[in-house]
Amino acid sequence: MTGGRLVAVVPAYNEQATVGGVVTSLVGHGITTVVIDDASSDHTGSVAAAAGAVVITLPINLGVGGALRTGWRWAVDHGYDTAIQVDGDGQHLADEVAKLVAAADAQGLDLVIGTRFADGGSHAGVSWVRWGAMRVLAGVIRRGGKVRVTDPTSGFRLVRAPLLDQFATEFPPYYLGDTFEAVLVAARRGYRIGEVGVAMQARQGGTASADLGASVRAMVRALTVLLTGTSFDIAPREVAATRHRRT
Amino acid sequence: MSTTAKQALVLAVGGLLTVGVVMRLARRRLLTTRYALGWLGVGVFITVAAVLMPFVGRLGEIADITPTAVLLILSSVTLLAITVQLSISVSLLQERLRATAEANALLAGRVAELEQRR
Repeated sequence: MTGGRLVAVVPAYNEQATVGGVVTSLVGHGITTVVIDDASSDHTGSVAAAAGAVVITLPINLGVGGALRTGWRWAVDHGYDTAIQVDGDGQHLADEVAKLVAAADAQGLDLVIGTRFADGGSHAGVSWVRWGAMRVLAGVIRRGGKVRVTDPTSGFRLVRAPLLDQFATEFPPYYLGDTFEAVLVAARRGYRIGEVGVAMQARQGGTASADLGASVRAMVRALTVLLTGTSFDIAPREVAATRHRRT
Repeated sequence: MSTTAKQALVLAVGGLLTVGVVMRLARRRLLTTRYALGWLGVGVFITVAAVLMPFVGRLGEIADITPTAVLLILSSVTLLAITVQLSISVSLLQERLRATAEANALLAGRVAELEQRR
């Protein structure tokens, strides 16, 4: 077991332009960083390794969910009990990691979501369409999971044991499963979820049409979950906590 | 020869042909036993249906459908069932492939780690 309690997990697919800076910044803050190279066709893996990350290279493209599950598994296998998910495109800042950790420590949280909208209402930096879609997803989570989350699609999150152990084995690989549905299931199973306001870097690119497509898919996803229920499940918090202590 | 009898003959030949092809594929290990058994069942079913054509035709009389239509409906339902079963299999395989890919990546990472340490 390598020591340390905190590890940054960076799922990356073809992000050679930005992943180096992300890794350098995280490592500069003294955070062990593991990059899950999701079968990129560019030099994402070697750039990340040169910047000082541990690189796990997936042989086939599994999508964000699959890459994350690999990352959670790596963290658990290497004895970490807290993992921070950071995007490889540079929109999440290493400076803000401390805020997630502080919130988890202070409130005893299992899942902390870094959000741009901590004040609740403002839709700074995102289109109306995307904002509307997020409101719907947040509404489903509020009803189904009895927890208030303003940005369920945020990819800047802290996951801590015993939830981390659960996510290492059960984590949905399809679109929005890793964000929206994971939050919903964790809330239902009694894990403590919180939110903390963070600053984010504006993303380069991202057209309105791509935004619209993503929002439509988000709606379909929310509807499916409402109709058929969530498609994965994890152990309740108390059960997972007992198992975690034993191992 | 009546139309029904001709249809029954064509059907029976088709059924036996299916059985033959499936057995050949299974023997050349292009089909696993699991799927070979399924398709053998289909072949046998077609053959039996052909032999029982007059009886099958009577089924149609109840709902006022021709014997040919009865067989078409039956085969459509069978093909649909097989397709759904295959989709289930593919979903399962996808999940297994995913798990294998993840495990493989983690192992490759550990090997790299060990090689570095030496």
